[in-house]
Amino acid sequence: MIALVPGVRALLPGHASLEDPVAELRAACLAAVGRLGSRVRIVASDAGGAEVAVSLVAAVGAVVVEADETGVLLVGNGSAMRTEKAPGFLDERAAAFDEGLRVGLLAGRPTPDPALAAELWADVAPLIGLDAGSAADVLYDDAPFGVQYWVITWP
Amino acid sequence: MLKLGRHSFADDATLMMAIVNRTPDSFFDKGATWAEDAAFARVAEVVAQGAEIVDIGGIKAAPGVEIGPAEEKARVVDFVARVRETYPGLVISVDTWRAEVGDAACAAGADVLNDAWGGADPELVDVAAAHSAAIICTHTGGVTPRTRPYRIEYDDVVAAAIHDTVAYAERALAAGVARESIVIDPAHDFGKNTFHSLEITRRIGEMVATGWPVLVSLSNKDFVGETLDKPVGERLTGTLAATAVCALAGARIYRVHQVVETRETVDMVWSIAGRRPPRRAIRGLQ
Repeated sequence: MIALVPGVRALLPGHASLEDPVAELRAACLAAVGRLGSRVRIVASDAGGAEVAVSLVAAVGAVVVEADETGVLLVGNGSAMRTEKAPGFLDERAAAFDEGLRVGLLAGRPTPDPALAAELWADVAPLIGLDAGSAADVLYDDAPFGVQYWVITWP
Repeated sequence: MLKLGRHSFADDATLMMAIVNRTPDSFFDKGATWAEDAAFARVAEVVAQGAEIVDIGGIKAAPGVEIGPAEEKARVVDFVARVRETYPGLVISVDTWRAEVGDAACAAGADVLNDAWGGADPELVDVAAAHSAAIICTHTGGVTPRTRPYRIEYDDVVAAAIHDTVAYAERALAAGVARESIVIDPAHDFGKNTFHSLEITRRIGEMVATGWPVLVSLSNKDFVGETLDKPVGERLTGTLAATAVCALAGARIYRVHQVVETRETVDMVWSIAGRRPPRRAIRGLQ
């Protein structure tokens, strides 16, 4: 089993608010990570993404492993330039980039352009080379803060 | 845990105690809620604004026409019963120094006896104990109720406030009031000049460090007015500045006229102090 979650730092327990601004996303992430079994290997492009993944794995009662895993947790997201209020402001290319990435994810074989991804603040390194088949189960697909998030699992 | 009569609060909770005057002559509202229906409307307003406590008083603090126990009870007791019936979840405090009045008010549903005059009536603690009510132990420097400070000096006003309020708290404890139902209050402006109240504010952390929960009553008082040269009605900013200082030090209960502004100030400072998460933080965390 493979799961994809975004490295949203509002998911970290240390950044909890009185009212959870990412309640739906959090629920989807926990459901997805809960499908990975008891031993989870994390693939993230940086320490921040890994930190979010570790907290999610802990929240579902599983443990992080380097090998012999029951599931793989990928940390990544689409562009952070989807709107004028987005962290990276609006880039007109962002929507099309994310749409291409969405098609690839649903097919289980995303092929984003790394250079364009970097320009659009998309975190895609863990997705490159993924070959997960076409039975994607999309638990979340939205860009509530100008950043495109997906929560997806593949069997 | 903080237990105020029927109601319990976590140790990190801050509480707004809204002033409700059943008086014709209190300094801030000048009798605006003297009529019972006006006072009841004031209760409804502060409840809607989120106040956890109402502090109902039948006698203004400053000198003036003498109000005996019978008249004080007539102003307060039936009103407490009406508020109790309408707002079962609201903490009702009664601002009185008289045991006789406190007893009748507790029988009518009061949860807290706010003794602004520092234990002038020694039997008030027995009343609190008998009704399982909470008590606010204030410092006045030993002055007679309803007198103004006149040339009072302290070697160390904060040490005096701590000594007297803690002694009062221990007397309440010995009388049978539950430990979690005892609160101390330095009583700004009571038996104090402006310099004393400023020093109490600056060093309020020393009172917090006693371990007893601290109430502060700062709202629109003369020490704010004299410090900024502002008349009553123009003291909100100064009140909130003093409120922020007390909140940073960890004061728990705020006796106020303006609930909304004080709640926002205390919440903001409580979050700065790391004791309260933000309401909804997403900036930079997307």
